[in-house]
Amino acid sequence: MKVLFFCLSMIFSVAAFAQDGDGDFKVKVKGFADTYHAVRCDKPNDWMSSRTRLRGELSLAKNHTELFFSANAVYNTLISDYSGFKIRELFVSQTFGGFELRAGRQIITWGVADALRLTDLVSPMDYSEFLAQDYDDIRIPENALRLKFSKNSFSAEALAVPVIETFDLPIDVRNPWAISITGNDSIIADEKPDFKIENMEFGGRLSWFLSGVDFSLSALRTYNKMPVYSILYLSPNEKLIAIPQHERMTMTGFDFSVPLGKFVFRGEFAEYFNEAQQPVVNVAPVSKNTSNALLGIDVYPGGDWNLSFQYAHKYIASYDAAVINGYRNSGTATVRVSKDLFRSTLNINTFAYIDVTNGGVYDRTTFDYAVNDMMHISLGFDYFNADKGTFKMYDKNTEIWAKVKVSF
Amino acid sequence: MKKILLAIAVLMAAYSVDAQSLSGRDIIKKVKDNPDGDTRYSKLDLVLEKSNGSKRERKVESWAMDIGEDTKTMMFFTYPGDVKGTGFLTWNYDEIGKDDDKWLYMPALKKTRRISGSSSKTDYFMGTDFTYDDMGDRNIDEDDHKFLIMETIDGKECYVVESVPKDKREIYSKRISWIRKDCFMGVKVEYYDKLGKLHRVLNISDIKQVQGFWTRGKMVMENVQTKHKTVLTFSDIKYNLKIDADLFTVSKLEKGL
Repeated sequence: MKVLFFCLSMIFSVAAFAQDGDGDFKVKVKGFADTYHAVRCDKPNDWMSSRTRLRGELSLAKNHTELFFSANAVYNTLISDYSGFKIRELFVSQTFGGFELRAGRQIITWGVADALRLTDLVSPMDYSEFLAQDYDDIRIPENALRLKFSKNSFSAEALAVPVIETFDLPIDVRNPWAISITGNDSIIADEKPDFKIENMEFGGRLSWFLSGVDFSLSALRTYNKMPVYSILYLSPNEKLIAIPQHERMTMTGFDFSVPLGKFVFRGEFAEYFNEAQQPVVNVAPVSKNTSNALLGIDVYPGGDWNLSFQYAHKYIASYDAAVINGYRNSGTATVRVSKDLFRSTLNINTFAYIDVTNGGVYDRTTFDYAVNDMMHISLGFDYFNADKGTFKMYDKNTEIWAKVKVSF
Repeated sequence: MKKILLAIAVLMAAYSVDAQSLSGRDIIKKVKDNPDGDTRYSKLDLVLEKSNGSKRERKVESWAMDIGEDTKTMMFFTYPGDVKGTGFLTWNYDEIGKDDDKWLYMPALKKTRRISGSSSKTDYFMGTDFTYDDMGDRNIDEDDHKFLIMETIDGKECYVVESVPKDKREIYSKRISWIRKDCFMGVKVEYYDKLGKLHRVLNISDIKQVQGFWTRGKMVMENVQTKHKTVLTFSDIKYNLKIDADLFTVSKLEKGL
């Protein structure tokens, strides 16, 4: 109740503050339209994706108050459920002195890792096409109240998320990216934790951006937004039933970035307390403390080359092979190589996820050409190769794709 | 007649003494020390022109603040749409050997990334003919400077100074600068490649005083080997704005324009 009272007090004081002053009214509009089509390389060479989208972003600001709105209008030929108009972000923000209060649906990004989530647990991921989409599209905004204080090179952030969002995991079998836990299962639709004040997500982050080093401390009382699945075996003639489950957990973390000549070294360390683990068949999920660490290096050799390497390791404490379907130690690596050519009109980029534990790989290679100031044409190749692990369920999903994007 | 010849001789001697009294380093230092206020704001329009006439454009808004010999700069792209809102924060250090601190904010990812402060100086800025080093504030002792001659450009007397980088990894072997004697503003710079061939030529025009500070209005950098050129036009220039030092922080970078 005290939390609610505090939040309401903040909002009313912000509203009162917002009435002061008579600065310029600023309107900013931007967005893009894109059309994306992908086809499977293996038989039956069917369409993996075919969608066209209009993204609009609008910012209205006066004095210290801003309203931000972004939305997608999508036509998806393959999966009609994904067609339609969808609000992406919608929030109001108010600055007063060194404070900024932001309330509404917003994307929150923590940490320094690329495409791997250790401390960056707030905004979940849209896996409707797994990782075969632009990484900037993959985050799901959350309805959050965020208060940030900044002074010089320090910032402190506190946030509360009344109703959490979870991963968007496709189960519609018409979607080539539909998930499968065992290869022969029937997955129950995901359900978010109940809308109760006790289920609220909350946390904070302290950050320092100094000459020669950035670092942050973070803590979050949250859920495993990527569910674990209870697998029920009913009879030999029936499919396995997979029931998604989200459990309470706590994260404490630390991240840093240190530039050194042509290199930038990055690291993240996160301890998860009571993280739910994927159980074996007919066993309820158990929660364990896990230690997660990531080290990365970015290389800027010049000549418009850019390279990046990351390795993330997970250790499950009190591991019990009888109930946990996984390994005590597991690792994931990423490699990115990017090169700009022809005065930055052509960018060639390849980004690979490597499942070190299971030997799987997923690589997305993109050739992006800027036709003019507004239009980009991209051609790409998504390559999957895995005998087991997460990438195994997509080992027939190697695809080529094309995209045209016009920005305004 | 003798009097005229004498007068000419005296003038030439005075001219010679004036020119020789300043070393190449002195001249470049005067250019660097030209007053430009403690803070600055401007809009930049960069037009990239290929030899076949096709053009691309980038627009940027920039704020800068001097802190001692160091400079902090905040820059946001406003055009084209695909990079609109992208921000660069740079803490540029005058001390030789000390890498700049740089951060890049990517609005699509809602993420700030610490980037290398040393490597990109010799790369071209966003496909233009300007390197990051050209856009930044180079320490005068990173080069050996030699005064060559006096020449006149567009009716203005200019010092001609040759500058040779001490670091052999620079992309040019030397540059020759024409610097106006009356205001110590550069009007032309030639950049020579590692083979000693002319590589790029920078012409600076529309030099005027804004709020009492000598200011460049237009810079045209042409790569004479590829015939590609970049026209950089400054507008809405302001000096000594009341800017809080907190503007040059990652928090403000993430807040955007």
